[in-house]
Amino acid sequence: MTEQADRRADATRQQILQAAAHEFATRPYSQVNLDDIVARADVTKGALYFHFRSKHALANAVIEHRAERGWATVEQLRTNGLSGLETTIDVAYVIAVSDIGEADARAGLNLLEAVGRFDGLQAKVLDVWVNGFAALTRRAIGEGDVVERVDPEQTARLLVSMYLGLRQTSNLDEPESFIRDLESLWMLVLPGFANPEKLGYFAGFIRRRSALAVKNAVPLRANNL
Amino acid sequence: MVRQARSEATRRRIIDSAVALINEIGYPASGLADIIERAELTKGALYYHFESKEAVATAIIEEGMDTILGAFRSSGRSGSPAMENIVHGWFVVADAITADSVAQAACRLLRTFGGFNPAAKAAYGVLEAEFAERVRAAVEQGDLQSNIDADAVVATVLASMLGAELVSSAMTDGRDLRRRFARTLEILLPGIVTEDSIGYYREFLARQSMRILPSS
Repeated sequence: MTEQADRRADATRQQILQAAAHEFATRPYSQVNLDDIVARADVTKGALYFHFRSKHALANAVIEHRAERGWATVEQLRTNGLSGLETTIDVAYVIAVSDIGEADARAGLNLLEAVGRFDGLQAKVLDVWVNGFAALTRRAIGEGDVVERVDPEQTARLLVSMYLGLRQTSNLDEPESFIRDLESLWMLVLPGFANPEKLGYFAGFIRRRSALAVKNAVPLRANNL
Repeated sequence: MVRQARSEATRRRIIDSAVALINEIGYPASGLADIIERAELTKGALYYHFESKEAVATAIIEEGMDTILGAFRSSGRSGSPAMENIVHGWFVVADAITADSVAQAACRLLRTFGGFNPAAKAAYGVLEAEFAERVRAAVEQGDLQSNIDADAVVATVLASMLGAELVSSAMTDGRDLRRRFARTLEILLPGIVTEDSIGYYREFLARQSMRILPSS
C-alpha cells in the first residue's frame, strides 16, 4: 500500500471508531446495530469489515483506544507538581467529567463492563488503573498524606471499585447529581486512608473540584445535538 | 539541508555564548568581541545572523520568555480552581527559570531593557495578559474578595513576583527563588483571597512551596 492509502485507511478506521463510540455510549451493547455505525461514520459495510471482523472486535478496539487516551491524560497529571493524593483526586474528577461528556470515555467504560469481562480485557485495563492508583498511593504515603498502615493495592482497588459502582447507582446523564454523589463517596472513604490532620485540607480540595466539575461537565446528549 | 543545519548550529553557539556571558558578567559588560571569542567564531559569522548586540539580546529574550510562558501555560488545568493555578503557576515558573540558563539571561535582559526593547515590552505584556486571565477566573470562581479590583491584583502580584525574582537573582544567583516566591505570596494572599478560602490557600501554598517537582 502506498503511504497515502495507508493514511486514508487510518482515517477511515478512526471515523468508524468514533461513530462506534457514540453508539456504544448511548445504547446498551446488545442494541447497537452495525448499520447505524456504518451510517454515522459514512463508510461502507465493507470498509467496516475490512478494519473490524465483528461487533465484538469493534467493541474491544473502542475499549483499547480509550484506555490509551485515558492513560495519556493521567501521565500528564502525574508530572504536574501535585502530591500523590492530590493527583489521585484530580484523576478521579477528570475521569468523571470525561465519562459524563465524552462519547469515547463513556463507551470505553460501558463496554468494559459489557464485553470486557469475557476475554480478559477488563482485567487487563483495570489492572493498569489499579497499578496506577497504587503507585500514587505509595507516593502519598511517602509524602505523609496517607497513613502508613494502608495497603496501596487495596486502596487502589477500592477507588476503582467505588467509581465503577457509582456508574451503576448514579446517573451519568445528570452531571450535577453524579458529581455530588462522587464527592460524597470521596468524603466518606477519605478518613479510611488519609492522614487525619490533613482531612480538612483535602475536604477543601475535593469541594473545589466538585464545584468546577459541575460547571465544566457537559452532558453527552447535549454534546450531540 | 546540511548548510541550513550548520547555520542553525552557528546561531545556537552565538546565543549560548552570549547567555553564558550575560549570566556571568551582565549584559553591559558583555561585548560582541567577547561573545565571538567564547563562541570561537568570526565576526562575519555573528553579523550574518545578528545585526547588533541588541539583536542577540532580543533573540535571547524571545527564547527565554517562550520557555517561561510555556511553563506558566502548562501549569493551568481546567479541573483545578484558577487560584490554585495562580499559586502553582508561579512555582512552575520558578522551576523553569532555575532549570534554564536562557530563561535566566532573558530575565536579566528584561530588566536591562525594560520598555526600550520591543521584545521585552511585548514579553511583559503577554505575561500580564495571561496572568490577568487567571485572576479574572479566580474572581469569577469566588476565591477572591468580591469588591476587589482584578487589574490591581494583576499589577500588584506581577510587580511583587518580578521584584522577588530580581532580588533573588542579585543576592543568591536565583538559588532561593522558590522560597522568595512563597514568602511574597504568603504576604499577598490575605489581601486578595476571601476569608472562607484563606485557610485552604495558605495550606495549598505551603504544600506547593515544599514540593520538589517530579522530573518529567
